[in-house]
Amino acid sequence: MNLKGGAVEMNVIEISNLTKYYGKSRGIIDVNFNVEEGEIFGFIGPNGAGKSTTIRILLSLIYPTSGSASIFGRDCVEFGPEIKKEIGYLPSEVFYYDTMRVIDLLNYSASFYNKDCSARIKELAGIMDLDLHARIDDLSYGNKKKVGIVQGLIHQPKLIILDEPTGGLDPLMQQKFFDLLQAENQRGAAILLSSHILSEVQRLCSRVAIIKEGRIIKIDTISSMREDNNKKFRIEMKSENAISNDFFKMEGVKDLKVDGRMISFLYLGNINLIMKKFASIDIANVWIEEMDLEEIFLHYYEKEDRSLEKEDQTAQKEEQKL
Amino acid sequence: MNMFFHELKAGRKSMIIWACSLSAIVILMMSIFPAFMTDVEAAKKLFLGLPDAVKKMFGFYADTFFTLLGFYAYIFLFVVLCGSIQAMNLGTGIVSKEVSGKTADFLLSKPVSRKRILTAKLLAALAIMIITDAVFFIVAVIMANIVKTEPFSMAKFIMISLTLLFVQLMFFTLGFLISVIAPKIRSVLPISLGVVFTFFLLNMVDSIIGEKAARYIIPFLYYDNSYIIRNGSYEVSFMIVEAVFIIVAIAASYRFYIRKDIKV
Repeated sequence: MNLKGGAVEMNVIEISNLTKYYGKSRGIIDVNFNVEEGEIFGFIGPNGAGKSTTIRILLSLIYPTSGSASIFGRDCVEFGPEIKKEIGYLPSEVFYYDTMRVIDLLNYSASFYNKDCSARIKELAGIMDLDLHARIDDLSYGNKKKVGIVQGLIHQPKLIILDEPTGGLDPLMQQKFFDLLQAENQRGAAILLSSHILSEVQRLCSRVAIIKEGRIIKIDTISSMREDNNKKFRIEMKSENAISNDFFKMEGVKDLKVDGRMISFLYLGNINLIMKKFASIDIANVWIEEMDLEEIFLHYYEKEDRSLEKEDQTAQKEEQKL
Repeated sequence: MNMFFHELKAGRKSMIIWACSLSAIVILMMSIFPAFMTDVEAAKKLFLGLPDAVKKMFGFYADTFFTLLGFYAYIFLFVVLCGSIQAMNLGTGIVSKEVSGKTADFLLSKPVSRKRILTAKLLAALAIMIITDAVFFIVAVIMANIVKTEPFSMAKFIMISLTLLFVQLMFFTLGFLISVIAPKIRSVLPISLGVVFTFFLLNMVDSIIGEKAARYIIPFLYYDNSYIIRNGSYEVSFMIVEAVFIIVAIAASYRFYIRKDIKV
């Protein structure tokens, strides 16, 4: 396989039609996505959407109801132990053997990989400012999280899976942690980052999948999600009622609001058309803003809700007809 | 091997406590033995005066009770009771503690198969029981030699002592099976104490009514010490039943655990 030439993109993670039910309750339904080699892939959704379920299947902590997942081209269920040699995993809630000291836990963790990790342990503990000789149960939540980070990275994995990793870390530590992740990524590691905090996804990831109620509703690059999105316009007119309320009503404009001298709306479309409109009116001030990912994200969620409602309504109508 | 030593280290403290407890029981009870032997006739009269049910319940047999082996066999019931609690704790806890302590995610995301995890845990638990029993046995032999009034059969002494491990293995296996099949065990002690004492009470009841078939379902009745003293051998049928139970239950545990969803 030609990896260096880039002619063949190998997928580190391939998930196809993955479904998991816990008894009758929904875990995930028909999830499909791939994580490519060397990329940082974001996995966003609110609590309970199915992020952890997906990740736990990848690590064969739980088994899928149907569909399949493979890592490095090998099935997660069948080749679990082999695959996990090259995976570093940081769970959302970190719990370790309370009576152990940090260094003992890290050495125990390292003993599962046939590598000498002692130098790496020292290096990572230095970066993360972690006291190696403290007992685990004396550590604060944030410090336990640091143990989790070091534990997940000591064997220089080719794939790093992070499930809501930054909880409990102060901003300075978050920064160091992100730097560390980016360094690992430069080294060639692919990263799957699950989160409900959009700013961290925005900061690190090149592509994201949005999951909602167990289903993937969107997979796209961060940049194209931005491009495809509405711009927020706010305009301050020089005088009230200078233009009719319908002046900006045109294709691509929505949520038009007129409040005295202030006019605001969202616009998606050719930017030149809207600029021509501006040229013909007397403006005091104008703000044009990009929607940030948070708003885009909420937007997707609302849109989904609306289309689901529509589906419900049409379904109801059909029922009435029958 | 790393997991095996990790488990040994984790279980070290409780192992020391159990070994000390079992030793304490044997030291205390064996030190009463000389007092009985100073006036055998008076003691015999006292015991023979007890109601039959009480005698059977606690396993008094006048013909053997006033020998060192008979006395040892009698106090051994309490040793087995304690050892069984240890074994049941171990069996119930060794896998389920990863879930209740929420460390299962750590362990199971390592590059090891669940089969290897279970094997390491089983072997560590076995080692813990064997070490505990070995410490107890050494103390028991020393005590026996201190308090003996006449020579006794070492072979039978060893045979009786070994039944501690045999009964422990049954309770361990039972606990192991329960912990693997149960979705989540929050606390080990209520389960292990409950199960062991239930069987212990059944053992006492059955000692009185003497139902033969019930012996096969009560681990405490598998190894009849008075039979060992009289015949110098175990009852083979019970050994076979135990072996079959252990093999089937452990195999079922592996099968079940390998397919189990590990929930948080």
